Amino acid sequence: MAELWSLIILNPVLNVLIALSSILSNNFGLAIIALTIIVRLIILPLTLKQLNSTKAMQAMQPKIQELQKKYAKNQQKLQQEMMRVYKEAGMNPLGCVWPMLVQFPVWIALYQSIMKALATTPENLLDLSYHLYSWQVVSQAFPLSSHFLWLDLGGHGDLILAIIVGATMWVQQKMTTAPSLDQRQQSMSNMMLLMMPLMFGLFVLMFPSGLALFWAASNVIGIVIQYFITGGWGYLRFRPSAQAVPATASKRASQKRS
Amino acid sequence: MLASCAPGGAQPAQGWSGTVLNNDGILYAASMDGKVVAVNPSTRNLEWSYTIVASSSSSGFMSCGQTSVPTAIYGTPAVDGNLVYIGSYSGKVYALSTSARSQNLPFPQTRNGEWHYPRTNEVIGDIVGSPVVSEDAIYVTSSNGKLYSLGKDFGDLNWESDVLGEKLWTTPVIEGDTIYVSTFDGHIYTLSTETGNLLPVSFEAEVGFVSSPVLYGDIIFVGSFDNKLCAIKIGDNKLLWEFPGGRWFWATPVAKEGVVYAGCLDGKIYAISVETGKELWEFDTESPIVSSPVLMDRIAVVASESGDVYIFDTTTEPKDKVMTPVKTIFVDALIRGSLYCHEGIVYIRAQDNCLYALDIDKGNVSWKLPLTIK
Repeated sequence: MAELWSLIILNPVLNVLIALSSILSNNFGLAIIALTIIVRLIILPLTLKQLNSTKAMQAMQPKIQELQKKYAKNQQKLQQEMMRVYKEAGMNPLGCVWPMLVQFPVWIALYQSIMKALATTPENLLDLSYHLYSWQVVSQAFPLSSHFLWLDLGGHGDLILAIIVGATMWVQQKMTTAPSLDQRQQSMSNMMLLMMPLMFGLFVLMFPSGLALFWAASNVIGIVIQYFITGGWGYLRFRPSAQAVPATASKRASQKRS
Repeated sequence: MLASCAPGGAQPAQGWSGTVLNNDGILYAASMDGKVVAVNPSTRNLEWSYTIVASSSSSGFMSCGQTSVPTAIYGTPAVDGNLVYIGSYSGKVYALSTSARSQNLPFPQTRNGEWHYPRTNEVIGDIVGSPVVSEDAIYVTSSNGKLYSLGKDFGDLNWESDVLGEKLWTTPVIEGDTIYVSTFDGHIYTLSTETGNLLPVSFEAEVGFVSSPVLYGDIIFVGSFDNKLCAIKIGDNKLLWEFPGGRWFWATPVAKEGVVYAGCLDGKIYAISVETGKELWEFDTESPIVSSPVLMDRIAVVASESGDVYIFDTTTEPKDKVMTPVKTIFVDALIRGSLYCHEGIVYIRAQDNCLYALDIDKGNVSWKLPLTIK
């Protein structure tokens, strides 16, 4: 299974990454960014499908929030009603998950390729040799320079990169995270919105900077794609209309009650 | 991002130390758990061991403080008199006294001549190559790209070279008052043993060098990243010939009587004419060859990574350029460290952290000693 994985997915990605480094003046940092862009472009149809599903889900949010409000005390009924609404709209709530799952092996291969190509230990360099094609453009890439801008791509613990990864991840998440009227759900979303960037910010300090560069590049490309697909900054805006309306409505409701 | 949680990206540094038999009849090697060990091959007794630890904060920044973990050791120890020299992957060079270590005294026993360099908590960068000992100095390469010359007696720094490459993982070669070192970026540098200054004799290739160099007369043999074995004439500073393999020539080649023996990661051992660069014979072990072959009289011993050790009679005529081994001995472990041959016995520190003694005449494993001490 491992051999099949290497043969079909890992080795092609790894060799293209190294060849790109050779083409881009032995700049491995640029090669990581270039390959991230190429992979993003290749899987763009899947990403679009995922984003469109997410967008459609977001468009239904007012309706869903209404239901959440209406059936706040009856979770079972709420689930039934939500499923009915989704069905009527011809939507599958898991529709945005499948494209993501299909992309997963590609991301794993990209991650493994970067880690292998960096060859931070002698074992890694030896192992790398077993995955290389005998292309001249690949042979000429060695030794891969681990320096890019201020970064040592094989080194750990770059604080600036940690902040960039955390910040870009927060922006990307914020753009797509729809506000919820359900207090519990909203606080959960808020927590996730902070936790994930923080967690990956910490990962940057533990993993080689080359991998963190891939995360940062991937986040930035993700933001750009989302900006053009969803037509703007989405929920990143400080007072998005989708959030403002329910908030005002809820204020009015509380005034009425008092 | 979750893809990063998947395994298979990187392998930890474990080391693959070679073995060396000193004229005191004791075998020295380094284990996979950071120990330098002295073994008496006649009694198979572990005479002493010393664990080299590295202060580590890499495991993390989230931990409360520094921890001490055994370091990986890749080089083969160098023995000179009463002292065993070794470089650690944690970036220090050690001189261990055999008498102080056999009494298990605290390290360093300066009156026994023990030292470590740097003497402070600083490190000089991961050391992968073996230390090389000359009459009055010891030379080590470091991942910081520099070559160091240290005094044998007290570990004083004689000199450190300029940065020769992004990282130096190869073992240098000394010939007279010149040191030869190959770099990953395709240079062969020569330096003065006295001053560390670069000498005008140098060679620059279009492709990097993956193996340590070996000198044979006025020719340097070295493996390159484009799957070739290169022969470079020292005086002319030019490529004499290059021999194509299927993969990298990772292991340092050995040369004797006009023939260079080079193990390749494509699984083949090649015997090549020094003069012409033409293949004399080959044999496919069907597993990458990571450790250097060893020559003893008319015997060539070659170990494949999968654990097969092949004995060749170099005087035998090959059939259609394919040599048949006279014996094959199977070691049930990965072999990556350098072999050592003495009086018909081949010593190997394999990747199962055991020391093996192989009897060439009998064609079997004579004994096996686990180096993992509980």
